[in-house]
Amino acid sequence: MQRFKRSTLAIIGVALVVLFAAACGSSSSSNSSSSNSSSSSSSSSAGLATSGPGLTQPTTGSGSKVSGGTVYFTEGSDAPPNYIFPMYNFQVCSTTNANQLMNMLYYPLYTYGENYRPTVDYSHSIGQAPVTSNGGKTFTIHLNPYKWSDGETVSARDLVFWMNVMKASPATEWCGYAPGYFPDNVVSYSAPNPSTFVITFNKAYDPEWVLYSELSQIFPMPMAWDRTSLSQPAPTSDNGSLPDTTKSGAAAVYKFLDTQSKDLGSWATSPLWSVVDGPMKLQSFNTDGRVVLVPNADWSGTPKVSISQLVELPYTSEAAIYNTVKSSGPAGATIANIPSQYAPQLSSLGAEGYQVNKAASYSFNYFPVNLNSNATTSPGGEPVRYVFRQTYFRNALQHLVDQQGWIHAFLYNTAVPTCGPIPFSPPSPLVDTSSISFSPCSFSDATAQQLLTSHGWKVVPNGTTTCQNPSLCGAGIKQGEGISFNIDYQSGVVAVQDEMNDLASNAKKVGITINLTTHPFSTVVATGAPCMPSAASCKWTAENWGAGWIYGPSYLPTGEPLYNPGSAANAGSYSDAQMTSLIGQTITGPLSGESAALTTYAKYVSQQDPVIFGPTSVGTYGGYAATLISNKLAGYSANALGFLQPQYWYFTK
Amino acid sequence: MTGFIIRRLGQAIVVVLGVTLITFILLHLLPGSLARDILGNRATPQAIEQFNQQNHLNQPFFVQYWYFLDQLLHGNLGYSYQFNRSVDSLLKTDLPRDLVLGGLSLIFSLVIAIPTGIAQAVKRNSAVDYAGTGVSFLLYSMPQYAIALLLIQFLSISFHVFPAEAPQSTSAIGMLEHPAGLVLPVLSLTLVTYAAFSRYMRSSAIDTLAQDYIRTARAKGLPERLVLMRHLLRNSLVAVVTLVGLSIPLVLTGTLIIEQVFNYPGAGLEYFQAALRNDYEVMLGITVLVGVITVVGNLMADIGYAILDPRIRY
Repeated sequence: MQRFKRSTLAIIGVALVVLFAAACGSSSSSNSSSSNSSSSSSSSSAGLATSGPGLTQPTTGSGSKVSGGTVYFTEGSDAPPNYIFPMYNFQVCSTTNANQLMNMLYYPLYTYGENYRPTVDYSHSIGQAPVTSNGGKTFTIHLNPYKWSDGETVSARDLVFWMNVMKASPATEWCGYAPGYFPDNVVSYSAPNPSTFVITFNKAYDPEWVLYSELSQIFPMPMAWDRTSLSQPAPTSDNGSLPDTTKSGAAAVYKFLDTQSKDLGSWATSPLWSVVDGPMKLQSFNTDGRVVLVPNADWSGTPKVSISQLVELPYTSEAAIYNTVKSSGPAGATIANIPSQYAPQLSSLGAEGYQVNKAASYSFNYFPVNLNSNATTSPGGEPVRYVFRQTYFRNALQHLVDQQGWIHAFLYNTAVPTCGPIPFSPPSPLVDTSSISFSPCSFSDATAQQLLTSHGWKVVPNGTTTCQNPSLCGAGIKQGEGISFNIDYQSGVVAVQDEMNDLASNAKKVGITINLTTHPFSTVVATGAPCMPSAASCKWTAENWGAGWIYGPSYLPTGEPLYNPGSAANAGSYSDAQMTSLIGQTITGPLSGESAALTTYAKYVSQQDPVIFGPTSVGTYGGYAATLISNKLAGYSANALGFLQPQYWYFTK
Repeated sequence: MTGFIIRRLGQAIVVVLGVTLITFILLHLLPGSLARDILGNRATPQAIEQFNQQNHLNQPFFVQYWYFLDQLLHGNLGYSYQFNRSVDSLLKTDLPRDLVLGGLSLIFSLVIAIPTGIAQAVKRNSAVDYAGTGVSFLLYSMPQYAIALLLIQFLSISFHVFPAEAPQSTSAIGMLEHPAGLVLPVLSLTLVTYAAFSRYMRSSAIDTLAQDYIRTARAKGLPERLVLMRHLLRNSLVAVVTLVGLSIPLVLTGTLIIEQVFNYPGAGLEYFQAALRNDYEVMLGITVLVGVITVVGNLMADIGYAILDPRIRY
């Protein structure tokens, strides 16, 4: 799972957040109607603002199929690929690496997200559906016949190789790492025969969670990588003494592969990275981030690749992407991700020869408030954490967020309302979202006022609301205390600025003072870290990096990295026994109850508001306003998790 | 002259060291944390601790500074956590391309500005002068961004004369092999630089025209062309040489806007992105480089004075 920023490329994990956020163009230009946004009520339920071709059905192109052709794909403006080894750590945990490069070269055990569904696709996966045994602790996976490009078979031993290296490497740095979960909770793994992989966990988990959040983190690795220097010949058979069979040897292999992956200039000629089991091979790469991929002629999967090249183009700014689309059209950018600031021009851009595709990635937006903050509500006053710890207050604050108004006025209808951790779009058959209501997040200053009044506050519109009845206000809140705190938001993104100004204005209507400060994205992200009240760094009250969370490499929308006490991504240090219990049920409950458990958990989150939810941008690749697809390119459908899948694409006349 | 150069080089070392120390202090005063920024909010405390340890970020300030100086003395400018590359490798790719962009623009702007400035000075207060002044003011007052976008709109989007983006090569030679892609970025930068140079040139030429030796040359019946070429041009160039010397660092790192708009990867953009991401070592590496280039640029300007004006002695 990961956070993402609307203004940059989607990233995987919160580290992904940083890179992803950096890449997803989020902001919009200033809008004269900003001050009026609060006037639009948003009591309606969450609608799906996604549209266009290529969602659940592939694009059809404009004529008959032709073989060959080069697809030009626009990368994000500040996150070029910088790592190729699929065991990527936090530092290089970006969608440009994971979704737009590695995934096409090195096929994971399971593929997910095809045809805009955030689900596993067994028909195009190396692994068949896992079989559970041993009371739900052991998973046996039979492998489909796939080949590496060097002629070796993709075998269970390749999965053992991955696990050996993962266990020996600093697993705490692995992009998907959450303490206590993968790979900490893996007790054993083995390859009883070349086509069978067996993995045992420390206890019984919900099989669906294991499939989507644990097995999703496994890639087979070719035997040719099982060495510690390039001068060693590539192993061709497992004689039982390959380096990865000992912990120190596996650690040395990791170090070697990590070092090789950091040698960006050698990627295209490396004897390591040329061994692939995915549909594409790397033909060339330059350190600016220009990637040229060609079909892997030895690919054993389906369908066979029809295009002759996929060229990923690096850009220095969002303006440069726009200029390319405007001046060259599909000839210069076959698939173009349009930054949010150009959303008002989507129609005219589409007229350059594109189909406009709006497809939200599996993600949601929010900003945390610090339930451990030691900042005071006023000079000499009490710490604001006591106010933030009150569920009714967070509910009231959530009701002051005018999501529909923001979407209309600031985001040019390129976002969907959000009220919880389970995305409404793309819809998942694993979760019944029909019973999840948006109403806990609907904009209503009257409801916010009523919540405060009913909990002992005397609301003074446009004045200072004060606590009159401490026993109702909540623990730690004293009589006569007001509510004043700071929201620090990402600089340089006009939409976020407009949203925060609007929120401060709405809050003032119920006597809450919100002071606004702004800093660069990285500063906001770094400041909004979990902390203890006694820490000097715990002065922050609310940090909005214009971002949220995107699911990957764990794809089941469970909340263990988000709302469990002590989780690294639980920035606000939210802690609630019932929440922890409900999250536990989504992980360890029976398969038959998984959907219900997720729904119950999601509803509880929207009642609790552990964070403040905001509109989630649409755009497959990390919160862009939309993706433009050449009218001549067929077979394209948005992957729900943002993976590029060129094996499905072809040109038409 | 040799002694002067040696003295100036000695001063340069002190200046560069001072620049590194001040930059180091300023960068450490910035809010935020490199580890959290690079690893993300999901990173565990152990991962952050490990990152800080590996990169000496948990050491006292002067220890960190010593590590930096040590690697600098070994010719290592550091490592970019953001780009996952050494700063040396980043600059080796970027600086030659910046040299193409900034160098060509500088040359073209001088080639246009010097005769234009002289012509304006000679025809002072004429229609030619007013027109030249108007053009200069217009270009000088326009943001670089606006000039670039206007050129793209007209010459790329509307009439498809030149591409909207620069050649996508990682080498300077590769950039020069696709001159069409260089036209708009070089032209944008040339127009802005020309505006400044032409004003200085005009002003300097006006001052020179009032000198006795010009009057004497004319009184001797020397043709006007020779007066301008032999006596005016050389003596008027001193001010422009100063400006060129000061511009040399900008040639390599001052083209951020152009780099952004024309998809032209360069050191200016690297610095900007590094600043947004707390990528200290990139900022330090570029700062050191710019410090060195600034000192060298000034030294070259000083030497240029001596060549242009024999009265100047060091």
